[in-house]
Amino acid sequence: MKGLLWKLLRKHISTSQLIGFSIANLIGLTIVILAVQFYNDVLPIFTDEESFIRKDYVIITRNISSAGAIMGNSAEFSDEDIADIESQPWCRRVGRFTSSKFSIVASIGGGSTPMIRTMFFFESIPNNFIDVDSTSWHFDPQNPQVPVILSREYLSLYNFGFAATQGMPKVSEGEVSSVPLNFTLSGNGNYDMIGGRIVGFSNRLNTIIVPDEFMRWANARYGTGEVQQPLRLVVEVNRPGDPKMQAYMDAHKYNIAGDKMASSKTYYFLTLIIIIVIVIGVLISLLSFFVLMLSIYLLLQKNTKKLQDLLLLGYSPAQVSRPYIKMVLYINVAVLIASIVLMLLARSCYLPMLREMGTKGGSIIPALIVAVLIMGAITAGNIWAIRRKINSLWIQD
Amino acid sequence: MNTIELRNTLPAVFAGREKNESEVWLQNISFEKGKHYLVLAESGTGKSSMCSYIYGYRVDYSGQFLFDGVDVRSLTVRQWCDVRKNHIAYLPQDMRLFPELTALENIQLKNQLTHFKTEAEILPLFDALGIADKVNSPVGKLSIGQQQRVAIIRTLCQPCDFILLDEPVSHLDEANNRIVAELVEAEAERQGAGIISTSVGNNVKIKVDKEFKL
Repeated sequence: MKGLLWKLLRKHISTSQLIGFSIANLIGLTIVILAVQFYNDVLPIFTDEESFIRKDYVIITRNISSAGAIMGNSAEFSDEDIADIESQPWCRRVGRFTSSKFSIVASIGGGSTPMIRTMFFFESIPNNFIDVDSTSWHFDPQNPQVPVILSREYLSLYNFGFAATQGMPKVSEGEVSSVPLNFTLSGNGNYDMIGGRIVGFSNRLNTIIVPDEFMRWANARYGTGEVQQPLRLVVEVNRPGDPKMQAYMDAHKYNIAGDKMASSKTYYFLTLIIIIVIVIGVLISLLSFFVLMLSIYLLLQKNTKKLQDLLLLGYSPAQVSRPYIKMVLYINVAVLIASIVLMLLARSCYLPMLREMGTKGGSIIPALIVAVLIMGAITAGNIWAIRRKINSLWIQD
Repeated sequence: MNTIELRNTLPAVFAGREKNESEVWLQNISFEKGKHYLVLAESGTGKSSMCSYIYGYRVDYSGQFLFDGVDVRSLTVRQWCDVRKNHIAYLPQDMRLFPELTALENIQLKNQLTHFKTEAEILPLFDALGIADKVNSPVGKLSIGQQQRVAIIRTLCQPCDFILLDEPVSHLDEANNRIVAELVEAEAERQGAGIISTSVGNNVKIKVDKEFKL
């Protein structure tokens, strides 16, 4: 039955129209899902999403003017400053950076002749501002070993500045993390050598961060006991980039660390461009959808007599529409698969570049969902049109 | 289905006509299963319209058609499909064959829907009607008379309570007319079905229980 029915109904199917639809829809759909995928892949670069510190945390410092430095104006935040920031509507909570009050010499590279020896400093922020697995982010005085989060810029500084000019080998993040690290801590009559290890790199924390509990222990052991007001604060805000917050920072001459604002502008334009691209893709898909609709209508129109005759034989509208629905399903599923393959191919071209920028790329699930949703909507529209048209042939007045 | 009744029916195009001499239009008549009816008509009196109303693909009439007392206007598409497959075997005047399919394929298209006859039962019908050599010819290549015989075979390939024939032998000679009449009567008898046949003059040679003048 299927064979005979198809033999009858395939007549007047325009292969060129269907190919036209398929190509147009393939282009449209691929543009849309590639844009979605690209957005997802690139987003981490702009939003600085990293595992250590959430993006709604901003780090602020006081502006240091040359006049202020001469006059001895402090770069510290007083308790009143902090209380004022805490009272702002955009602020959820404030964490203080604690600085090390003792001498630190770090040596990198094991053995008796370390590769680099350098004076060092530490800072810490409350643990609840840092998203690190608590098993690796703690300090035990009985078995001293200091976990450290380094600014990624330090690594760049070493790789592109120091290593390049001094003929030293460049190192990757993974290699650095496995390099043995030793800290010589001294002060207050105490002198100790403690091992350390880099647990990660941060784009946002422009310093060297150690666990708060280590800092308290070390400051008590090696420090002078003098209490210093913080030089930096970490602030959890309701919405990063809030203009009110920006205005407050400007008014008080506070700096937001990193190029957050610049990247948020880039991020804004990225979003805008992606939206434009998606709209273009959707328009192409929509146009191709109408091409298919027209093609189907034309086909059904040309086959009207045949369809009516089949209905008179006792074939139901569902039975006679099935071959056309199947045809549309096959075409659309093929286009869907092809566009996903194209998207993945294109992605594999730009992904290495993103890796160099330190991001692994986002999930492909959102793009797949978008692809299935768009194709689902187009297919549903096609099926609806076929059913409607064939049902309209039932009465032959 | 045991009866097909017409109650005060009239095609919409005849509305407003003052004179009505028809024994069908604007009358209450009924066709009963097992009986043979001949509807005699002049051209343009609505005989094909009557068939299309009974078969449910036109609704431009006033009054009622009833299947076993049920107004056909209340039937769903699914019910109509059941009527067309299992209750009324219809031969349209214009035959509605598919010219690009062969004679046998045309019949299979119906029979594969009803699974009513085997190929071994179908082929002797071709023989009987003298078109055995046309089994595998595209219907478009057959003469009108040959096409009419193919259409008759197709009509017989389904279970039914009524066989509705719209000018079944208009293009057939006397001899074929008689053969068609025999085949139709035999099938009707086997199934206990009624026959309603229309004609503008060349009547199919069946035994007739009642005649209506349209």
